[in-house]
Amino acid sequence: MSSVVAVPGSVAPAAPREVSRARGIRRFKWAILAPLIALFAGVLLPVLLLQLYFSFHQWSVYLGSWWDAEWVGLDIFKEVLTDPRFGWSIIRSLAFALGSTIGCFLIGFGLAYLMHKPFRGQALYYILFIIPMLTVPIVVAYTAEMLLYDAGPINDIISRIGGVEHKVPFLTNPDFALTSVMLLEVWNWTPFSFIIMLAGFSSLPKEPIEAARILGASTWRIFWEVQLPLLRPVIFLALTLRFLEAMAEFPKIWALFQGGPGSATETIPVYIFLTTWQYFEVSKGAAMSYLVMMLMIVIVLLAIRLLRREKHAIDAMTAAASRTA
Amino acid sequence: MTKSQKNRIGSIVRYTLLTIWAVIVAFPLYWMVSTSFKPSEQWFAWPTVYIPDPWTIVNYLDVWTDRQEVATGQYIISAQRPWIAFGNSLMIALTATTLSVVYGAVIAYGVSRYRVLSEVRMFQLLMLRMIPPIVIVAPLSLYYSALGLLDTATGLILIYFLTTLPYSVWMLKSFIDEVPREVEQAAEILGAPRWRTLVEVVLPLVRSGIVATFLFILILTWSEYLLALLLAKTEVVTLPIELSKYQGTTEGRVYGRQAALSVGITVPLVFIGLIIRKHLARGFSFGMIRR
Repeated sequence: MSSVVAVPGSVAPAAPREVSRARGIRRFKWAILAPLIALFAGVLLPVLLLQLYFSFHQWSVYLGSWWDAEWVGLDIFKEVLTDPRFGWSIIRSLAFALGSTIGCFLIGFGLAYLMHKPFRGQALYYILFIIPMLTVPIVVAYTAEMLLYDAGPINDIISRIGGVEHKVPFLTNPDFALTSVMLLEVWNWTPFSFIIMLAGFSSLPKEPIEAARILGASTWRIFWEVQLPLLRPVIFLALTLRFLEAMAEFPKIWALFQGGPGSATETIPVYIFLTTWQYFEVSKGAAMSYLVMMLMIVIVLLAIRLLRREKHAIDAMTAAASRTA
Repeated sequence: MTKSQKNRIGSIVRYTLLTIWAVIVAFPLYWMVSTSFKPSEQWFAWPTVYIPDPWTIVNYLDVWTDRQEVATGQYIISAQRPWIAFGNSLMIALTATTLSVVYGAVIAYGVSRYRVLSEVRMFQLLMLRMIPPIVIVAPLSLYYSALGLLDTATGLILIYFLTTLPYSVWMLKSFIDEVPREVEQAAEILGAPRWRTLVEVVLPLVRSGIVATFLFILILTWSEYLLALLLAKTEVVTLPIELSKYQGTTEGRVYGRQAALSVGITVPLVFIGLIIRKHLARGFSFGMIRR
């Protein structure tokens, strides 16, 4: 540690002060980044190279040592790309992520709108509403099983309200399974959209809204023409981050369904998991991972481009809000 | 319609809608807690039992203590396992979080004051978090087994450290950005070394931000499932994995005990989350939202 401490003037007493200061800063910068570079080179890089290796060498755990695996060129990628299950898993993942993102957003936005002005009991509602986000996903999954199984309380409540005995097969019917887990995701992560949108509403500048009101605009018009456009960057942030997290969702789907019933909930993470750890086709899993990684990099780069633009808008907005506060 | 009538109607609508969602949020939580207090014949009863009658703490005793009855049933678990898992979770989460926050603070300071990472690089750092971990777990587990890190606490700590780093860097940067530079400039004029300025001047000023970041990342590492499942499930078991082991037992579904364990996993997190509730938006948005 002491070698990287750069005291201005002590490194090269003869050099002019400015030069030694610049050198000190340079050393300081490298000292900060060194562990990060080491982590990338020592953990991430080997892992990515290994994955690339398996994508081009046919290997499964039954086949001796992995470093002797046979080079097969693009065969594995061909196998993956012609596998309809892979295509379906991508579609399911996108459907799951889109559906749950929209669900989380609409509810979260609505709650934030209802709560952005002070009222009695606000703090209590706020505390209750953020709890789902603080619940471990695996706990959400098992609690959902207790609630949703055929003779569970949700079916009991439906039967009592309807007057006839209903046993909705939330967990066993392939037509319902993906929707059920989507609803769980919405329950679990609506707080995320809610707190982001609440922060967005509270950083809205007061003047334009006040001005519109004085000009006689209705609440409805103020909402559509003043508040919503101002909130756009925050809305975008809430949607993007939630979508990306939903694409990676694994614990709830796995704990409840393992991709079933049939293959109704076989999303990308689940299919990669099954291929690698249950069918032991490591190479196929690696090739799929590579393709998914590429797909996600494209999506993430796109999201980052937009996020960067919106971040400047958000920064400007929060800066203005804190000036007036 | 007068203005006060309008306000009253608006208020009624608001309370109705909020209460509907409150019930939707609260019912599953209530169900988890109430099931944990139900005797075993009420776990699956039809018609459904909504309020445990009689209340019992036997599930908690079964899960968290070394009761004799557990060993005599067909379903034999070592009652110490949840505590071992609890200890593992605590140790792994605390260590990984500490590393992440300490190093995250250093990078965040470097970015805020010396631009050690450009804005583009900062966003690229987010990729560590935004790409689903499943795509690297298989090669990572082989790499870990070559290094002897598979199924060890060290291995999990290392990967949690790496995957939470984007959160701590971004979140802490948002706090450090708010500290005026004049103090540091004064320290530099007085000839203080940069590291000392960071440790003794800047970090104390963002103390509450560091605590918030620490607790936020603790939530993430405490509830992580996929990596814990695939990189360490036999020797080093964390609490979420321990809970999932109750699922496929020979005795079938043991809702009461699962619920008792779930409550034990959830209560610390809810507690932590409520302490930092003002900072959750900042955390989950990578510091892009600052309130």
